[in-house]
Amino acid sequence: MSPAVPDRNEVEPLIETVELRTHFRTPRGIARAVDGVTLQIRRGQSLGVVGESGSGKTVLSRSIMGLLPRNGVIREGSVRYGGEEIGNRTPKQMRSIWGREMAMVFQDPMTSLNPVMKVGKQVTESLRLHLGMSSSEAMAVAEKIFRDVRIPEPTRRLNQYPHELSGGMRQRVMIAIALACGPNMLFADEPTTALDVTVQAQILDLLSEQIRDRNMSMLLVTHNLGVVAGYTDEIAVMYGGKVVERAPTKVLFSNVKMPYTEALLQSIPRMNQPSHSRLAMIPGRPPDLVNPPTGCRFAPRCAYARDLCVREEPPLVQAETPDHTFACHFPVGSAEYHERRVELNRASTTTAEVL
Amino acid sequence: MRYYVQRVALAILLLLAVSMLTFGALNVLGDPLFNILGPVAGDVNNPDSIKMIEVAKREFSLDRPLPVRYAIWLSDFVRGDFGVTFSSTGQPPVSGVISERLPRTVTLVAMAQFFAIFVSIPWALITASRAGKISDRISTLNAFFLVAMPNFALAVILKYVFSIKLGWMPLTYVADDPLRSRLFQMILPALTIGLPVAAVYQRLLRTDIITTLQQDFILLARTKGLSRPRILLLHALRPSLFSFITVVGLNTGALIGGSIVSETVFRIPGIGSTLVESVLRNDFPVVLAIVMIVASSFVVINLLVDFAYTLIDPRVRR
Amino acid sequence: MSTTNNSAGNQDEVAKKKLGFGFWLCVSWLALMVFIALFTPLLPLKSPTSNFLDSSQGRPPYAPSWKHWFGTDKDARDVFSRTMHGARISLTVGFSAITAGFLIGGTIGVISGYFRGWIDRVSSFVFVVLLSFPSLVLAILLTSLIERSLLTVSLVLGLLSIAPVGRLARAATMQYADREFVLAARQIGAKDRHIIIKEILPNVAIPMSSLALLGMAVAVVAEGGLAFLGLSVEKGITWGGLIQLGSDASKTLEKAPWISFFPILMLFLTVLSLNFAGDRLRTYFDVKEMTL
Repeated sequence: MSPAVPDRNEVEPLIETVELRTHFRTPRGIARAVDGVTLQIRRGQSLGVVGESGSGKTVLSRSIMGLLPRNGVIREGSVRYGGEEIGNRTPKQMRSIWGREMAMVFQDPMTSLNPVMKVGKQVTESLRLHLGMSSSEAMAVAEKIFRDVRIPEPTRRLNQYPHELSGGMRQRVMIAIALACGPNMLFADEPTTALDVTVQAQILDLLSEQIRDRNMSMLLVTHNLGVVAGYTDEIAVMYGGKVVERAPTKVLFSNVKMPYTEALLQSIPRMNQPSHSRLAMIPGRPPDLVNPPTGCRFAPRCAYARDLCVREEPPLVQAETPDHTFACHFPVGSAEYHERRVELNRASTTTAEVL
Repeated sequence: MRYYVQRVALAILLLLAVSMLTFGALNVLGDPLFNILGPVAGDVNNPDSIKMIEVAKREFSLDRPLPVRYAIWLSDFVRGDFGVTFSSTGQPPVSGVISERLPRTVTLVAMAQFFAIFVSIPWALITASRAGKISDRISTLNAFFLVAMPNFALAVILKYVFSIKLGWMPLTYVADDPLRSRLFQMILPALTIGLPVAAVYQRLLRTDIITTLQQDFILLARTKGLSRPRILLLHALRPSLFSFITVVGLNTGALIGGSIVSETVFRIPGIGSTLVESVLRNDFPVVLAIVMIVASSFVVINLLVDFAYTLIDPRVRR
Repeated sequence: MSTTNNSAGNQDEVAKKKLGFGFWLCVSWLALMVFIALFTPLLPLKSPTSNFLDSSQGRPPYAPSWKHWFGTDKDARDVFSRTMHGARISLTVGFSAITAGFLIGGTIGVISGYFRGWIDRVSSFVFVVLLSFPSLVLAILLTSLIERSLLTVSLVLGLLSIAPVGRLARAATMQYADREFVLAARQIGAKDRHIIIKEILPNVAIPMSSLALLGMAVAVVAEGGLAFLGLSVEKGITWGGLIQLGSDASKTLEKAPWISFFPILMLFLTVLSLNFAGDRLRTYFDVKEMTL
């Protein structure tokens, strides 16, 4: 039942969700982790999903892939892969897609790789299962993939255990496992967060290169806007279980609309800031997913919020370009925004004077 | 390397202590002379009896002080000479008795351990993957019952159900039967010992498997499209076996204890039932020899379990 | 936020909070057994040693009936009465053994865990030696050499429990001995004895007491095993002994299974109750899995 992706779907998105909701039953009530997310990813396109912890980004990726347990999880809305609905499929039915059409790379390669199995075997396992290769064929392919992901001395590494490899190499192994059967869709869940800064760039480079070469789509989840800046075509910003802004990467950085996104951008430390300057923080904490605030979920922490924001939830509207959507009553650049900006500046300068 | 040597040295020390205690207990709390000669030992007025007493004393070194007797015994023991049994009907060598009966006990214990392991692993896998569901809860209850039933009671029940009522299993063990039927006769006794132990193993392994199943690498295995049985067997089982292996090794002692009861109920002439007989007869050399053998195997097995641990977990290997 | 739903785990957490119906059911059974054990001579039972021959029923053993609830054995003795009497010795030995074990083993364990040094090394070695026999073997060895009375058999079984109990007490003590409140007490100049009694003991006693029931279960089973082999209290009526008498000859077991089965049932239910209640207590006080 695995849907092959025919070429006529160049126009149709590879992955499409419509009003996807994923709710968890908890002792305190129902946690609305993903609360109505609609997005599309086309073939060969990479989408970055950015948000704080608790924004629902990880749940989103696992929900699309169908990895969540059955107990205590309520899923609503539609998820389509290659035009076919997969949202209501059982894990058994999804198994033919997992590994073969869709793959996931996790955050911590130390805990995500089987500690008592040689890494080569962890790659060949998929090859033999999905592609029916023999043991020697699979090993040869595994070696080639190791080379593709730039693992030095691939032949030797195939026979090693995860603990014998460095963090960066382990992550490359995980990528190798994901790419083994040539999937169309790659989910990368904070793939660089557990790595050294120097290695992070290498891994991200590797990922973009592989995606380009294999014409794969990617959904990259991260809390770090800096990570998506150079490596994704589009960015979706999530907050409180909803997508609050979405735009092609360049557009997002140059024409940000939602104040939350703006705050995220401002909190990235920059090289050209004078040393010892305070890092701009977003005050407050992420919303309670069991009892989310009425109206806009970011309103309690937003510097520009007004009465309307608390009363009514802002709908997703288009910005200047059709591929840029956002949800805000008084976005960046609007009259009300500027009004508030002036007030804030006056307040900070007054305090400065007093001090 | 130093670690291994230390552990072996400790084991030897342990065995020496065990032997000293046992030897001491037997000779101090019991009366060897009485056991060899019977009532004659107390008959100090009869000159014939006195002569027999003298002969016995010399033969069994009973006129020497305790530590000397111990040293004599020890030097004989390590050379394989376990002495002769105390019995008024002639004194066959203990080593003969033991070498004839030990293999049966070893077979019984091995069978029991085999059953226990091969029953508990699938049982644990199945209940772990269905944790919390009805079948799991029923199984936990069953395991509980099995553990609460003492060895000897279970033996009686099994004997009644399978030998007497259903007639599937033979009633007794016949030493002269061919090997195959002898092994068959040992199935019920082995199950008696092995089933409660299997319940203990299953409980532990199930917990460990459940913990392992929460790990990230299991999630990764799912994303590779592997089926549930495959994930359980190839990915979840091996990392969960560490405590299991330790417990299996350590439980061999409990199995040996269980064999005493099982051999008695099912009338298998192994060293377990022999121990009981000799103890009731106050036959010291036999008791001493069997206790030492049992304690030694116990200590050696524990040592092996320790060493094996380093082989199983590749992370600990270097 | 966790994306795996640990339904088994959640239910376990809820179960921890209350002891549950099963717990109290077991406690009631145990209370009943204790009552019987204490008051056997006063209860309206038939004599356990008399022969109730009844020519109208033919030769004994007689099957269970209104006259003899559990039937009779080969010598026409009333099984019900004998089983109730059996509770006396079996439970008394079990209780005394574990009490002795806890008192002695616990004391040694706490002292070694607190003071360390040579006391600790010596006692640990002794423990290891004791533990290097399978316990049944040691029990058999010791009981065969002494005059077997209620007291001596209890002491032997108590001796056997010293090592496991002592080890646990030592481990628990070591955990607490390093904690801050003990260091603080030391600094004010409190005497060691004072610290042990006031600070360490209360903390160690809680996990230990929840293991007392489990320990008693082990002791009762051990006594049963000894009795079965003929090595428990001389001339006493015990559950193990009754089971052995009823199953020794295959003919007896075949024709009159009730002789063994009722004592087995009593023993089983008692051990089950001790195990279950002990386990519940252990989860309730959240003691880590420690094997006895």
